[in-house]
Amino acid sequence: MSWDDKLLKQAKKIIKLYPQKRSALGPLLHLAQSKDGYISDDSISVISDLVGITEVQVKSVSTFYSMYKQEPTGKYLLSVCKSISCEINNSSEVINKVQEFTGLNNNETDEDELFTFEAVECIGACGGAPAVQVNYETVEGVTPENAINMCKWLKETKPDVVVADEMQENFGGVKSFDWAIQDNSGSTSTAPGFQTLNTTKVKK
Amino acid sequence: MSEKVNLNVNGLEIESDPNKLLIEACEDSGIHIPRFCWHKRLDPVGMCRMCLVEVETPRGKMLVPSCTTEVSDEMVVDTESDVVKKAQEGVLEFLLINHPLDCPICDKAGECPLQDQTMAYGPGESRFVEEKRHFEKPINISEIILLDRERCILCARCTRFSDEISGDPLIEFIQRGNKTEVNTFPNEPFKSYFSGNTVQICPVGALTSTSYRFKARPWDLKSIRSTCNGCPTGCSIELNSSQNKMLRILGVDNDAVNQGWMCDKGRYNFEYLNSDSRLKTPLKMTDNELVEIEIQDVYSELAEFIKDRQTKVNFLLGSNLTNEDYVAFREFSNTISKSERSFYLNDDLLYKGFFGENIELAKIDDLNSSDAIVVWAEDLKEKLPVLYLRIRQAVKNGVKLVVFGHTNETLSDIADVFYGKDMVSENFEILKDLSKMKEINNLVAGKNITAILGKSTPYQSDESVTKLFEFLNSNANSKVLNAYSKGNTYGAFQTLENLKGLNDFVNDISKDNTDLLFIVGADPIGRSVYSNQIKSIIKSIDTVVTLDNFNHETSELSDYVVPISSTLGEKEGTFTNIEFRTSRIDKLVPSPGQTLSDWEFITSLMNFAGLTVETNSLEDLNRKAYENLDSSLSPVFDNLDKPSNLDGMINIFNPKIAASENKLNKTMFFTGEKLYGDSATERHSDSISMLGSKKFIEVSESVAEKYNLTSGSCILAQDELEVTVSYEVNNSFPNDLVYIPTNRRELNKFDFSREIMIIPSQVKEALNVN
Repeated sequence: MSWDDKLLKQAKKIIKLYPQKRSALGPLLHLAQSKDGYISDDSISVISDLVGITEVQVKSVSTFYSMYKQEPTGKYLLSVCKSISCEINNSSEVINKVQEFTGLNNNETDEDELFTFEAVECIGACGGAPAVQVNYETVEGVTPENAINMCKWLKETKPDVVVADEMQENFGGVKSFDWAIQDNSGSTSTAPGFQTLNTTKVKK
Repeated sequence: MSEKVNLNVNGLEIESDPNKLLIEACEDSGIHIPRFCWHKRLDPVGMCRMCLVEVETPRGKMLVPSCTTEVSDEMVVDTESDVVKKAQEGVLEFLLINHPLDCPICDKAGECPLQDQTMAYGPGESRFVEEKRHFEKPINISEIILLDRERCILCARCTRFSDEISGDPLIEFIQRGNKTEVNTFPNEPFKSYFSGNTVQICPVGALTSTSYRFKARPWDLKSIRSTCNGCPTGCSIELNSSQNKMLRILGVDNDAVNQGWMCDKGRYNFEYLNSDSRLKTPLKMTDNELVEIEIQDVYSELAEFIKDRQTKVNFLLGSNLTNEDYVAFREFSNTISKSERSFYLNDDLLYKGFFGENIELAKIDDLNSSDAIVVWAEDLKEKLPVLYLRIRQAVKNGVKLVVFGHTNETLSDIADVFYGKDMVSENFEILKDLSKMKEINNLVAGKNITAILGKSTPYQSDESVTKLFEFLNSNANSKVLNAYSKGNTYGAFQTLENLKGLNDFVNDISKDNTDLLFIVGADPIGRSVYSNQIKSIIKSIDTVVTLDNFNHETSELSDYVVPISSTLGEKEGTFTNIEFRTSRIDKLVPSPGQTLSDWEFITSLMNFAGLTVETNSLEDLNRKAYENLDSSLSPVFDNLDKPSNLDGMINIFNPKIAASENKLNKTMFFTGEKLYGDSATERHSDSISMLGSKKFIEVSESVAEKYNLTSGSCILAQDELEVTVSYEVNNSFPNDLVYIPTNRRELNKFDFSREIMIIPSQVKEALNVN
């Protein structure tokens, strides 16, 4: 088993939330991703043991969803939306600038393992197009210039936690609407920030 | 039966059971709807969209997939409208986008649903000019199955089969959208006893077997329907040959028995028929060497013996004979001696079983209609694989399952109650009072149950199974399926009296009561726990005649070896399965050299010896086999060949089994057999020869600890015999238990009633260095 006790404990906690073990598959894959930055075959074997399905069944789910990465990602996963609303609001220029700055093509990771860049389909922030996600923390109304500034900031300060609201304040523009409750937690890895996954920290 | 519903399909009024799928209802009424993903025995998924039909709805006519739509009363359906045709053309054009045009080299071409339906329903031309997707041409997803992902149309039949039917989902869709492919997990091959079925149900040539790949074209194949004689399940099969060589076996959908499925051993253990090592001429032991001899000389030399009324003759019969062969031996035996005689079956697990006037015997189909199934037998997945599938199916339909014994762990994951090592001791005794066990009483008491009973190992006492049987019989409305696991055992039951097993053979037979011993289709030295004892018995007997397909350890000690034709594909006859269903075994290919059927040999021998022969032909023997049955119900060829009886005829029967209880002392070792072994036929079937060649044992956790087993292998030693084996730790075993699969040569040579030493290989190495 390549998972340490802490992670296994976490996994068992997640499994308990569901009436059937295999229902915990999704969150467990996020957990695996928070550990390695991608879903490794080792993690798949661990998860298959934990939830009692075969490895290939886990693999099938993990390769179906694009948020589960099959290759290692950098510290920051930059997802720029390329769908219709963002495209109309000049996301292609954002994409160009980010690619220029990072020197990355789509789905590539740089040598320092700092950035992974991807142009993605709709991330549900059409009201604030163009939108960008850093480790699944959404920033709206991002101009090409601000996109560069954000990348520079990430590169220079290398924050361990990225927080949507903070980035929105510094690099965002028009916001569609306030997302539900105020959330000043952030994401600590390339998996979405969830309390149950321990991939978030409440900032003081 | 609930009321029928009426539908209008293409202007015709048809009737159907409610809750039926539209595609099935149409099929039953002779209206064919094209399909790829839908399969009668699998859950519908609606993946391929080929079965779109127009159905009238309150919102007008709509295209719906008929494989996921249930029929309803007064439904109006059109399966041939212009809209449907356009939809079918569209679907096929999409399916063909990525399908390679390699039909000229594809094994499926000629019997390919994609090819056929493109001809019948396709658009005729493609507008696709881009590059098709490419994958590495066939990859081995197991030792016997190849996958060509380019050809796959993603119907999910194989993945659903492995998940729903066989319960070993080791293949799945990987990736999605245009990149979707079927594959295994890296380094986790599609190791399944049932993998061959996926090849059979694949609607394109994506899944192929190493056995049949590039061997023939479907239009060159000759085929005939027969029955598999590998185990008493008796699956209905279709044999395929080309140029007089058997090339393939397919499962036939016999609703009451195998429902189209087969195990891989049944499917691929035919290749030995074409082996060059087959015995083709009779042999005689001359100066410690088997040399060729004319069959006439065999007859005349043996006839001399038989003419002498003082000659004492005995028979050890294998389980792969036809009922007619068994009758021939019975007639022979009756003719040479009027006194009562026992027949010995080559089965180290034969015991009395549960038969009698007060015991109701079950049919395989009863599994589906009972409230609960109770199993205590050998591991059914290893010994009666398709019966195991039928149990899985019943459980899926809501039947409760109670499983006893650590040897049945393959059923434990679907069992409602599994009584493993806490309940069944290492001596195979039930440890606790059943009437006080809440779980089983809740599931069984007063219910209709089917009990599958047998012995897990030769060392299990008759009494322990009887205890369970009596509990079930007094608490529930129970039917019994006796789980004997060897070939045509039930045919022997039906045709021979006073049957005994190998332990009786060892106790009874000696040179004092046997001058002439016939060993037919059996290698008890190479494959039984009594190997050594039988070896010395055979050596002591004056004349031993072996009839078999190959030379093996037993034939090498015989005085005469007669080559016989194989029951699979080279003989006609009948076979009786576990529910006393008798069905046809048919001949497709000629048998090689001077091989004969067993009955031909025996009948000729009788004629040579000048004995009165009443049964001179196969038909005579066939009639003789069932002479005590009412002629219209009797499974004679005339009746079996009627279309309504193709699936076989059931005549429940109470056999006379004279086997005595096995009195072996059990040490910590117990024996059994795995599905794959290294018997002569398996060794000579290339596709599966490697599957049963690995020598291994299973040990309980405590044994692994006690003997410090860490290196993955160890040495079993007794007297002069040393065998290196790998071991697997089996957590379901009680303490101090070791399992040895005896259908591997060498592993059956130990004297299991005495201690066998386990030496970890690291210790042995250290000894060798010193």
